[in-house]
Amino acid sequence: MKGRSWVGDVLWYAGAIALALWVLAPIYLIGLLAFSPRMAVYRWPRPLLPLELSVETMRFFVTATGTLAATWNSIVVALFTMILSLILGAPAGYALARFFFPGREAVRMGILMTRMFPMAILSIPLAVTFIRMGLYDTPWAVALVHTAMALPFVILITASVFTAIPRDLEEAAMTLGCSPLSAFLRISLPLALPGLAAAALFTFVISWNEVFAAAILTLRQRTLPALVITVLNESPLYFRFAGGFFMVAPALVILLIIRRYLFHLWGVSGR
Amino acid sequence: MRDRRLWTVFSLLLALLLACQPAATPTPTPTAAPPPAAPSPTPPPPTPTAPPRPVLFLSTQLRPVEEAEKMRNVILKPFGAPVEFIPEDEGPFHDRIRAEIQAGKVTVDVVGALHGNFVTLLKDNALEDLAALMERLKDRPMVSQFVELGKLGTDRPYCIPWMQATYILAINKKALDYLPAGADLNALTWDQLRQWGENIHKATGERKLGFPLGPKGLIHRFVQGYLYPSYTGAFVTTYKSPEAVEMWKAFKALWEHVNPQSTTYDFMQEPLLAEEVWIAWDHTARLVNAFKERPNDFIAAPVPAGPKGRGFMPVLACLGIVKGAPNREGAEALIEFLTRPETQLTILREVAFFPVLDIPIPADMPVHVRIEGEAVVKQSRAPDAIPALLPVGLGGKAGEFNKVNRDTLERIVLKGEEIEKVLQEEAANLQAILNETGAACWPPDPPSTGPCTVR
Repeated sequence: MKGRSWVGDVLWYAGAIALALWVLAPIYLIGLLAFSPRMAVYRWPRPLLPLELSVETMRFFVTATGTLAATWNSIVVALFTMILSLILGAPAGYALARFFFPGREAVRMGILMTRMFPMAILSIPLAVTFIRMGLYDTPWAVALVHTAMALPFVILITASVFTAIPRDLEEAAMTLGCSPLSAFLRISLPLALPGLAAAALFTFVISWNEVFAAAILTLRQRTLPALVITVLNESPLYFRFAGGFFMVAPALVILLIIRRYLFHLWGVSGR
Repeated sequence: MRDRRLWTVFSLLLALLLACQPAATPTPTPTAAPPPAAPSPTPPPPTPTAPPRPVLFLSTQLRPVEEAEKMRNVILKPFGAPVEFIPEDEGPFHDRIRAEIQAGKVTVDVVGALHGNFVTLLKDNALEDLAALMERLKDRPMVSQFVELGKLGTDRPYCIPWMQATYILAINKKALDYLPAGADLNALTWDQLRQWGENIHKATGERKLGFPLGPKGLIHRFVQGYLYPSYTGAFVTTYKSPEAVEMWKAFKALWEHVNPQSTTYDFMQEPLLAEEVWIAWDHTARLVNAFKERPNDFIAAPVPAGPKGRGFMPVLACLGIVKGAPNREGAEALIEFLTRPETQLTILREVAFFPVLDIPIPADMPVHVRIEGEAVVKQSRAPDAIPALLPVGLGGKAGEFNKVNRDTLERIVLKGEEIEKVLQEEAANLQAILNETGAACWPPDPPSTGPCTVR
């Protein structure tokens, strides 16, 4: 018995280490090369330890025209997307979880169908519409599109979060004098909060990474991915590493924050 | 506890958003701070009340971050008025101009792009006729072929020559030890290049020739402007000629010594600097970093010649004004500024694109510019030079046309399919595109009245 569990442990940890390396090694290399002198990028064999560090390429990239403004735009767009999609998505998710109405499955499918539209064919009509509405080249336009893209996720995630919260709790609260609204606010919402937070941060990451709509709908008010794709696509390798790291780092930090809540995404919480 | 922390994070984020932006949507949170008194539809920053209106300059050229910064901080500095230089990929570039024209609200003033992009812009009815401006620029010694090209097949100037580039060879000096006996670096033949690659292959055991066959590589230009003209003296008309069959046989033999990683190379300066290849063909702007970073280790040379001559492709970038541009006056002033001889030399010095004016190049250019410049001049002045244009008049089909060329090369060279069969099939694809667009032949093919036809 003891021997078997020892082998099991080794296998378990070896697997975990392999998985972690699989994810972390590329990020480590990107980070390493982002802070290396230019020519180190081309050296072979590549140095795997940070023996010589340089912030030169990183500094150039960060101070280049538009990088900081684009970062700011990305943050604004992502926050706005997060708030808007939660305001619209959470009630829809709650309705899907709690109420049994005719056509419920159709609504569920319909929500998913919005994800089936390829953005590419929408690009010109979308741009034309936004130009006419005066929203073109503003972070709001991008946030609206991102909200449309993120809503299906938010609705389905929040629906499963609310499904996981027993209805009995709300009913019990109501027998003790709560109105349906206060039962929701006092009982369901606090229980759903970790899941909602995870959904919100997931939305943040979706918006942070989206490039297509952002590229076509903005010109002066670029978001970071839209800027990076035009500026770094054809830049030398060392700038691509700098830009890549600059983009990955915030998403990484956010993932570290939501790591604990991530399981709530699917309602399989161990509260 | 956890809940309270989350609420704190939420309210912090919300407060941050509200504090930094004028409220654009009503927020239902009762605890939120009251929104600023007058929500304005356009967010900050408040532009200083600048008298000269900025010119919005959208460009598919000079996209890499360093080039774009040079453009903003050095080249455009002496212009005086503010210019917003915004580089953009070709796809979104055309989409944006189309959308602005359709919506009837144009924001872009000046566009800078390749000659081929301008043909598409003209089809979208997005260009102003620049005859009056051209008249004012007539004292500039512009290369007359470029001025002619700028008319895009009409009799009006729409695209004003801006800068030019071409494709050359970049060579690591380590390769020179293996140069075949009797070969002149400035007058190589394709056969000698194959021999050279073979010598290196035998001596080092490595395949050190390189071509940009990656997804963003420009190998189709190699087929259109270098391989075919050198071996057949033309391109479209001789696509499946007996000379073409011989050419592909020769190129297949050369491929034995090409680094197989070539299918991942987009910009040859990267594998050159990493020394994965020693000899590479590519666009001057995609080689320049090798010369810039290690000028003592690399040399440039004209492309090799084939039985018919030395095919090469001059690349022309143009400037134009978008129809309905909000700042027409500023746009014209900017184009006038960018085509001044001194600006043209600054462009050469800073970003290594060559002038479109017939002016002497001063001796004090940086070393990487001199290395490339010499090879470019030798190539265009070679007695056996065959200049080939980028495909003309294909509009939105240019991408498909390029793909046919790329497919031909990949099927023959990488997949080893039978040459005659591939040429028959791909020539039919080529012809279908030419018939559909009605594109007439362009040099080096002899002029045609109808659509260009494969013989």
